[in-house]
Amino acid sequence: MKLQILQENLEKAVNTTSRFASSRAQLPVLGNILISTRKSKIHVSSTNLEISASVQVGAKIEEEGEISVPAKIISELVANLPKETVDMVSEKEQLKVSVSGFSSTILGMNSSDFPKIPNSVDKEKSIGFQQNELVKALGQVLFATSTDETRPILTGVLFLFGKNSISLVATDGFRLSRKTLSFKMAKKVSNSVVIPKGVLGEISRTPSEEAEIYFGVQEKEKQVIFGIGDTVLTSRLLEGEYPDFEKIIPKASSIKVFLDKEEFTRAVKLASIFARESANIVRIKVLKDSINVSAESSAAGSQETKVDARVESTEKNFEIAFNYRFVEEFLHSASGEEIKVEFTSITAPGVFTDTSDSSYLHLVMPVKV
Amino acid sequence: MDNTQIWKDSLEIIKVSVSPAIFSTWFSQSYISSIEEAGHRIIAEVGCPTSFAKNTIESRYFGLVQDSLSKVLGKNCDLIFIVKTNPNTQKSLEETATPLFSVEKEGNDLLEVLQRARIRPSFTFENFAVSSSNQMAHAAAEAVSQSLGSAYNPLFIWGGVGVGKTHLMASVGNYILRKSPDKKVIFCTGEDFTNDIVEGIRNKTTQAFRNKYRKLDLLLIDDIQFIAGKDTVQEEFFHTFNAVTSVGGQIILTSDRPPSEISKLEERLRSRFEAGLIVDIAPPDFELRCAITQIKAREKGIALTPEQAQIIAANSESARKIEGLLTKLLTEIHVKKIPVTNELVEASFAKNLETGSNLKRSTPDEVTDVVSKYYQVGKRLLLGDSRVRPIARPRQVLMYLLRTHLGVPLEEVGRVVGGRDHTTVMHAVEKITQLATVDVQIREDILKIKQSI
Repeated sequence: MKLQILQENLEKAVNTTSRFASSRAQLPVLGNILISTRKSKIHVSSTNLEISASVQVGAKIEEEGEISVPAKIISELVANLPKETVDMVSEKEQLKVSVSGFSSTILGMNSSDFPKIPNSVDKEKSIGFQQNELVKALGQVLFATSTDETRPILTGVLFLFGKNSISLVATDGFRLSRKTLSFKMAKKVSNSVVIPKGVLGEISRTPSEEAEIYFGVQEKEKQVIFGIGDTVLTSRLLEGEYPDFEKIIPKASSIKVFLDKEEFTRAVKLASIFARESANIVRIKVLKDSINVSAESSAAGSQETKVDARVESTEKNFEIAFNYRFVEEFLHSASGEEIKVEFTSITAPGVFTDTSDSSYLHLVMPVKV
Repeated sequence: MDNTQIWKDSLEIIKVSVSPAIFSTWFSQSYISSIEEAGHRIIAEVGCPTSFAKNTIESRYFGLVQDSLSKVLGKNCDLIFIVKTNPNTQKSLEETATPLFSVEKEGNDLLEVLQRARIRPSFTFENFAVSSSNQMAHAAAEAVSQSLGSAYNPLFIWGGVGVGKTHLMASVGNYILRKSPDKKVIFCTGEDFTNDIVEGIRNKTTQAFRNKYRKLDLLLIDDIQFIAGKDTVQEEFFHTFNAVTSVGGQIILTSDRPPSEISKLEERLRSRFEAGLIVDIAPPDFELRCAITQIKAREKGIALTPEQAQIIAANSESARKIEGLLTKLLTEIHVKKIPVTNELVEASFAKNLETGSNLKRSTPDEVTDVVSKYYQVGKRLLLGDSRVRPIARPRQVLMYLLRTHLGVPLEEVGRVVGGRDHTTVMHAVEKITQLATVDVQIREDILKIKQSI
């Protein structure tokens, strides 16, 4: 392999991929990134067996070939090179990197040990998302995924394919987030898949100039594939049955409260100061045209905030308690100015919605006090 | 050999040929999802956790896997690789229920727990009537439920049909689960236990069987005598017995006879049964039957006067019969919309016999012989014209028995008992039914005659 490449292109590719190389893997080759050439491009790829990434960048190729080199070494090295053309030559299992006045030989490994990594997306069989829409939607569901590995299926996000829409659902058993993206689908890719949160988090972190993200499911390989500009990310799908979330969404509610998001956020924030000391519990009391947000701790003291609200209620003296973190995280994810909160009973989940965005729904399970 | 074992053996061979890092990265989480025989070749489907593992094994180690699998199976193998997580490593979802998804389940929790343990919710200590015939067994069962595993282990309850062995045993399970629903309890019959083993052997899941039975806090086996004479089942039970008791688990068994009389029971099992407490339950006496009648009537929502309860108790010898009678009575009340009267109770009792569900196969002549021998009254006298009480009473008992026990029609009874009118027979049956409720002597006479028929 012999090629010339611009430092900034190489740096971008190496930066993106080196994140996925696992330095602590038992198999040393997994701590490497693979550099391979194809026509006028080079592909830089890596994997931690859960997620794989492959970036293609333009280069002037004189001789084809491929080599794998330790991710840590190459990324640190490339980052410190001057912004000019870099010469790269592979000899057996060594990679020579040189710029003017600098040359280095990196000890690599035989590339045949490197797992095969998908480096292109079949756009015909994929769905195109608007990048900003998808990133925003992910921001509204990802935080609700579980971190508990004993129930792996909840650590992912459910992609539920409808006729003209896709619903993204995440839950950790205490709250649930659902965001629906509507668009026309040429053909169905799948019924539903559960995608680990890891790769979804990476999507928003992967730089891309292009407006579209391509999304495909390889059923047989149990793999999902994302094309983001020049980068291709894959991840394994989570197997198992996703809990039936539809049935826990309350159909009707007896209490509706409309709140200003800013004011409510501030009230929750104030309550959290004391709530932190007592199991994160904040109480919300629904009054005639306002709500009372309060928290108390035997050690620190207590507080109460009145927030003006439009209340449509059939019940009197309704008081419910929540873990303030769940409420706070929802408030951060909502983009509108007004929030609608619905309750049915003190043991049923509260329904939180953004009045300007009907496609977003959030449930939070109350705390028993 | 099951698939897990086959794959384990193959992996041992593979392990020798590749480096530990390669083995743990690519092979350690793989498994065989299915094996099919096609002629003299075998097609094995290998599940790999990720597509990377699948591709790597398929492209680099295909030959190695094929060779080692062929060696283990002794036949040529073809391989298919698929991406699939090993189902055995996945945790079951039910165990970690979270608040959001357990909202609607609450309430039914206990019922579900009882269902999983296969215990009937209605079998509790509260509705178990105690008298001298079953006092000992009841006290033992209560002691066991208070201190599981240490009071009497095993508790062996034996007795005839319908005396309440199963009820008493299930009550212990019920009590334990109500107190602490997370205890592991299984209620099964000797038959279920046998079937489970057979199933395990057939599907190569004996391990699952062992997991199910050997890690219990309380094992209840009904009709244990059914495992007698079945060698493998007895052996498996022996090990289960030891596994459960050694970690402080309780075992309760019921049988229709004491361990010493169960033939073809292995000696080591017999001695283990005898090491615990063996209690018997005698058939319910009249007072107990009255209590049972009242408990069951209350459960069914029938209001009975003490007198009515006594009529029923006097005329039925087992709890099941009482239950049947009450069901009949209940239907009658509902269909005809009439209050419960003594006549109705008696009528339904007579009707119950006409259906003849459990009639004995003895002839009227035999019954006549037995009655004549029992009362030491000559047959000719018994069937003759004398109306003095020492002879007339046995005659009435005879008619009562012919009518109720054998289900002989009224006219026919009259003919057998010296050509009497059917109204005479009706009167006799009524008279004895009445007497049985108040007269202990008559009750005992009837019981003894029935036993000797």
